[in-house]
Amino acid sequence: MLAWRATIVFCLLVFLVASPSAFAASIKIGDIHPLTGRLAKHGLESHQGVVAALAEVNEAGGILGRQVELVSRDDQSLPDVAISRAEELCAREKVVGLTGGYEDSLVGAVSEVARKYQVPFVASASLQTELSRHENPYFFRVATLQGFVEPLCDFLSVRLRPQRLAILHAATPGATEFAADLERCLQARGIPARLVEKFRPGTPDFVPLIAKLATLPVDVLVSGGFFPDHLLLVRQLREQRLSPKAYIGPWGIAYETFLEEMGENAEYLYGTCAWMPGITLPGTEAASRAFVERCRRLFRREPSSTTMHGYTAARALLAAIDEVLRRGQALTGANVRRALAGLDLLLPMERLAFDERGDPRSYRHVVVQVQGGRFVVVYPPERATGSAVYPAPPWRQRP
Amino acid sequence: MERAAPPKLDLRGPDRAIPVLLLLGLVLLPFLAGSSGYVLQVFTHALLLATLALAWNILGASGSVSLGHAAFFGVGAYGSGLLSLKPGLSPWFTIPVGGLFAAVLAVVMGLFCRRLRGAYFALATLAFVEIPRVVTDNWEGLTRGSLGLVGLPGLPALTLGPWRVEIGSSAGASYYLVLSYAVVVVFLVALLWESNLGLALQAAREEETAAKAVGIHVDRYRFLSLLLSACLTGISGAIYVHLTRYTVPGLVYSLHFSAVPMIFAMCGGRFTILGPALAALVLYPVDQFLFHPLLPAGHEFLYGLLLILVVLFMPGGFWGALRRSP
Amino acid sequence: MWITALVSGIALGSFYSLIAMGFALIFGVTHAFNLAHGELVVLAGYVAYWVWKGWGLSLVLTFPVAVAALFCLCLILQRLFSLLREPLELNSIVMSFGLAILLQNGMLFAFSGDYRLIRAPVLTEGVHVNGLSLTYGQITLVVLSLVAIGLLHLLMHQTYLGKALRATIQDREGAALAGINVRVMGLVAFGIGALCIGLAGPLYGSIHYLYPTAGLQATLLAVTITIFAGVGRIRGLIVGGWLLGLVESAAVILLGSSWRELVSAVILIALLVFRPRGILGREEG
Repeated sequence: MLAWRATIVFCLLVFLVASPSAFAASIKIGDIHPLTGRLAKHGLESHQGVVAALAEVNEAGGILGRQVELVSRDDQSLPDVAISRAEELCAREKVVGLTGGYEDSLVGAVSEVARKYQVPFVASASLQTELSRHENPYFFRVATLQGFVEPLCDFLSVRLRPQRLAILHAATPGATEFAADLERCLQARGIPARLVEKFRPGTPDFVPLIAKLATLPVDVLVSGGFFPDHLLLVRQLREQRLSPKAYIGPWGIAYETFLEEMGENAEYLYGTCAWMPGITLPGTEAASRAFVERCRRLFRREPSSTTMHGYTAARALLAAIDEVLRRGQALTGANVRRALAGLDLLLPMERLAFDERGDPRSYRHVVVQVQGGRFVVVYPPERATGSAVYPAPPWRQRP
Repeated sequence: MERAAPPKLDLRGPDRAIPVLLLLGLVLLPFLAGSSGYVLQVFTHALLLATLALAWNILGASGSVSLGHAAFFGVGAYGSGLLSLKPGLSPWFTIPVGGLFAAVLAVVMGLFCRRLRGAYFALATLAFVEIPRVVTDNWEGLTRGSLGLVGLPGLPALTLGPWRVEIGSSAGASYYLVLSYAVVVVFLVALLWESNLGLALQAAREEETAAKAVGIHVDRYRFLSLLLSACLTGISGAIYVHLTRYTVPGLVYSLHFSAVPMIFAMCGGRFTILGPALAALVLYPVDQFLFHPLLPAGHEFLYGLLLILVVLFMPGGFWGALRRSP
Repeated sequence: MWITALVSGIALGSFYSLIAMGFALIFGVTHAFNLAHGELVVLAGYVAYWVWKGWGLSLVLTFPVAVAALFCLCLILQRLFSLLREPLELNSIVMSFGLAILLQNGMLFAFSGDYRLIRAPVLTEGVHVNGLSLTYGQITLVVLSLVAIGLLHLLMHQTYLGKALRATIQDREGAALAGINVRVMGLVAFGIGALCIGLAGPLYGSIHYLYPTAGLQATLLAVTITIFAGVGRIRGLIVGGWLLGLVESAAVILLGSSWRELVSAVILIALLVFRPRGILGREEG
């Protein structure tokens, strides 16, 4: 009889001792990206950044011994699908934090779901000012429009000073707001835009628009379109022998893959860049190299700026969760949110700290130009690695 | 004139059992689904699509096929959304007004496309969506253009005596609101079916020249059905936009909202009352729960395939075929 | 500026007429509206892209492959359309709408949403005269569509088969009574349609970018041009295509790129409302 009771007590003890580690639940984070659809290229890269961040943390032993698990969903570049996925992650999977998104229509949709379920959402790429003005305490983002507009506004007004500027932009919320902000900023500095036009992303033919540009005649062209739009527009500019002195694409250009697709036509194009292998915030070179190494190992490809955005957003969430657990608090959305609000983290892309609206305090792009098949930082002066070639040689003088 | 017996809502046999059981299931869903908000969200969306399918069918039952109902959906959404941003206007007010805006658009479309029939009418509706869409996208002063509408008020609270239900912040309450709306729409459609309008449309569908010969103002009744269909679609659009609280032109005017309700109506049964709703409530959850995880890219092929099969082999729709069998 | 717009309008318009040719013939002979027509063009483009990328075939060699693939597909389509009941036009629109959704999702699944391009550098080279640029790609489009139209016209008016086709277009019942095998005519129409689509697809994939949802716009263009030209009129297709291309280019210049789709939509609706039988004149009856 005594032997039986002893055995039971012994088993209970073993059970109690073993359970904390045996039942150490993994921490669940969700990410929603456009993995298919028209934004698939970017969504996948951002997603890989998130995976890299989690790998980094898990390889170092997780957060206080607990591994972090990533639950990923694809929103197909469609806002209503994004909403479904967000609902699924928050309600069914019960993630403790959300990250992802690529375009404002997707991010906006998810942010409302995040607010409803009180799950903090750190968007990896979002621009619209509105989104952070709607007092959503559960919405954070690691990028803002100002990070694009200010450097370009400075660069154009200080360095290039175009006489006949044209601004084209895609009919998306972020691009539209970018164009309006840039125009306003430049207007205030005495550089009016002669032509501002919107096109639907996926336009098959830019030639009539190019004809319009040729009559201005445009000297600097800012094109707020995406990767495929640049591919087509630059090609057609070449075909039509229209050579703007500068072609600036805030999105889609500062990527290795763009250089591969465009080939020699990419020469002299300008882009803006938050981060790139080799272009990183002073003081973060080691971390940046480690990130590139890890991405090469995990995905067998070079990480891009978009990858870094995903990584940054995920690192923010992970740091917040770490903070909550270190303080012995319960892992709830509200606590993680509070930790995010007080974050201050030096990362390769930026020194990440959020203001009261969830916007990053110091997110700034640098202006790069393609020279000799490589990206050269041409602005701001304190980070420049070369000087801008302006005006770009006309098409007929190029191979 | 020989009067074909109009389909009634309450018939004997399986025709009665299935809808009643389904309604029971839907009412109990929040309790059955437990803590999974995802199931609730899918069915809320399914119910909304059901109302869209029912609304589409008001026009569809007359024989006219519209491939562009997203125009009305979007106008209702934007109308209500924009109005609700003005201080003092609650969505309770703006949602029906959104429906009115959609009806006005239908008047415009009806005037231009009055004499179009069949395939030509369908083509015109397909093209017509671009008009409100591009105008919404470009008239930045009014609609904020491509920037879309952000942070729209959610569904407002309902105060009944001592009780106050915050519908917008509760998934369950939102679900019941949409469910109630769907039931109301079903009754509306049933009433319509039995009214002079409904009978006239059925007669017109069967044989337009004969109907005209007997003195039925086919054009007038067709026009009326277009207005009603558009109005209800607009109201659904308004509800949608207050559920998601965010929209861009490309979202509410998308082909998705033109195609999917139409497919549900055709698969369910264009000549039945409940067919469209039943199709929506079965097909959409199947698509979301079953096909989507299997085929993240391209799972909507299911809708295309079903439409082809229905047109070729089951023009009365599944529910129509079910009811016709003894 | 206007000269460039003129050139681009005509080049683009020629391409539109090439797309419209297949649609017009199929619709004329069988009275079946194929709303998935654009998707078929995009699919042909994807087939060409696939053999170009995977098997290293040059652009020129992708054409016969695309045509062959579309041929098989169109035979299947013809069977499907023949199963339809009355009213044929409406049912065919609805069924092909479903087909369009099916194809779009199929292509999305098979090729992903990435933008694809068949790279043929020669097409981007061109001649430059007096500040006016004309790429070989544009020249190819214009020449190819003129040749295609010309051949089709010859077929329709100088051969017995063509006479039979025209008879079927004008009056199906009458043609059947006269002993013409209407079903075979339908097959022929689908076959020639496949040829046109198989030519347009690879061109589309090398001059524009391929993506799964590109089809619907192309279909609407084909429909617009067909209705403009009038059922059964071949030469009207080229004129219609050019006019549409020119109007689109003008709209972009005058109103801005963001109004392009609305202008095309209004043109189609106007054609449907005012002259569904075609603007280029055709006696009623």
